[in-house]
Amino acid sequence: MKSKRSNSLMGMAFFGPALLLLTLFLFLPMLLTLIFSFTDYFALSPDLTHFVGLENFSKIFKDELFSSAFWNTVKFVLIIVPAQSLGALGLALLINKVTICKKYFKVAFFIPVVMSLAVVSNLWMQIYSPEGILNTMLSNIGINTQPFIHSADQALPSIAIMSVWQGVGYQMIIFLGGLQAINPALYEAAEMDHASGWQKFKDITLPELKPLCVFVFITITIGAFRMIVQPMVMTGGGPSHSTYTLVYDIYETGTVNWEIGLASAMAIVFTVFVVILTIIQTIMTKDKEGKHANKKTKNG
Amino acid sequence: MRTRKQKTANIILAAVLFILSLFFLFPVIWMLANSFKTDAAITADMNTVKAFVPPALNGSFLNNYITIITDTSFLRYMVNTLFYAAIMILAGIVVNGLAGYALAKINFPFRERWVMIIMLLMVVPTETIITINFLFVAKMGLLNTVFGYVLPMIVNPFNIFLFRQVFVSLPDDVWEAAQLDHCSPFKYFFTMVLPMSKTVVATVSVFTFLNVWNDYLWPSLVFTSSDLLTAQIGLNSITSNDNTTMGQTLAVITMITIPVIIIYALFSKQIVEGVVSTGSKEG
Repeated sequence: MKSKRSNSLMGMAFFGPALLLLTLFLFLPMLLTLIFSFTDYFALSPDLTHFVGLENFSKIFKDELFSSAFWNTVKFVLIIVPAQSLGALGLALLINKVTICKKYFKVAFFIPVVMSLAVVSNLWMQIYSPEGILNTMLSNIGINTQPFIHSADQALPSIAIMSVWQGVGYQMIIFLGGLQAINPALYEAAEMDHASGWQKFKDITLPELKPLCVFVFITITIGAFRMIVQPMVMTGGGPSHSTYTLVYDIYETGTVNWEIGLASAMAIVFTVFVVILTIIQTIMTKDKEGKHANKKTKNG
Repeated sequence: MRTRKQKTANIILAAVLFILSLFFLFPVIWMLANSFKTDAAITADMNTVKAFVPPALNGSFLNNYITIITDTSFLRYMVNTLFYAAIMILAGIVVNGLAGYALAKINFPFRERWVMIIMLLMVVPTETIITINFLFVAKMGLLNTVFGYVLPMIVNPFNIFLFRQVFVSLPDDVWEAAQLDHCSPFKYFFTMVLPMSKTVVATVSVFTFLNVWNDYLWPSLVFTSSDLLTAQIGLNSITSNDNTTMGQTLAVITMITIPVIIIYALFSKQIVEGVVSTGSKEG
């Protein structure tokens, strides 16, 4: 009896500081975001706040800026996700095979990951400049000067490619970890059956990596959904809002225009997307584990 | 016969990867090489291989760096950021470490439910609550203060979870022995548990440092205009100044990258393990 009480006292003493901070800076903000999303809370005149029901939600879905921010974000996701996941897988497969200078390759492709978003954005502003190094190199192979981040057509893909460049090393390391965890006996068995390289990849490597692929796919998607710093530094969301993203819209509506009610509704919509993606990931990886278990019981 | 064929294949593969890595790293190589040049030299070298080669060592080699250090407050911003990172690492280890220990070893009410909640919190995108946290900090009058910057960032569900996973496997008999010696729980935690778990402490510290050093959105909100700026925010005020030359811009972004490269060189094992563990946890 006494030890039970002392346990809960000790538990609170240890967990208390974290709980206090979690309440103040996570639970309370989450709750307030939900509450504010049904009001017209304007931070500069908080006394005039009304309950407005679902008005904010119908407002943002009619708002042209929000819908263009939404579609821009989708475009970012559609470029970044396939390029970054396939790039990471390809690099991991090659580096896993190579025996010379393996360490160098792992480091080389990981370097941009540790650089900050602001540094990478500032660096690529120079790279992408009309008289910059990239245009100079392109002109040597006969390609005209490209506007890159200075045109509404090219700004979004230019920033997307830069993001892939920065992020690909992270998932490459994750894939390398997965490849090294595959039981070599599987490949030895396949070699005895004279399986070709492609067959080994298709029948052993890919199935073994599948749960990791789902994880990588979803993390890159969520990461791309959260795009804000790169357009903020490089283009200010322009030209003509072509690189304005969902999170950028939440940020400006909340902290620049002080329309907390509206920003909260946007944040709720954004969170719903992220939660749906996370649920998909959980279901897909669970499913895989279930199948594994079935296989094992069958074999046993 | 077969092994020789394999050997050539391997050399070809390494060569292909090497060329690929040069293309991949060309922005970084260009940044380093040109951070030592004047703008005239950068433009003149642009169309030749010299664009990727640093200039000859002479008296003006470090001029861009010297200008940044003497004419701007950038060094101060770097020191600020180191200071914030140190506070955040210390406070983070105490708060998240204690919480992780409670969730791993102390049998307090609703413990399992808290573990679930912490895991759920790991997926909440911080961008969604940044507006409200900014409002909080502003209302408390903590804008442009170290306190306002650090306080909301200390607690980190991911780090709590990381600590818990390691503390779960600690042997219980050490705690029982410590109790016989009348060692208080807190003393036990700081003198026994943390020293026994150096790896996770190092991993959490490294990731906290990288987070603080590279963070952009939160410090850009809390610090508007003052001597308290972090390096990333100070960087922007320097590069957006019209008097800053291209060479100086490259020098300043090189300076800001040097600490993370050093950290990466020293702790690449922890970083790689931390990255891989995020994957294996799910897979």
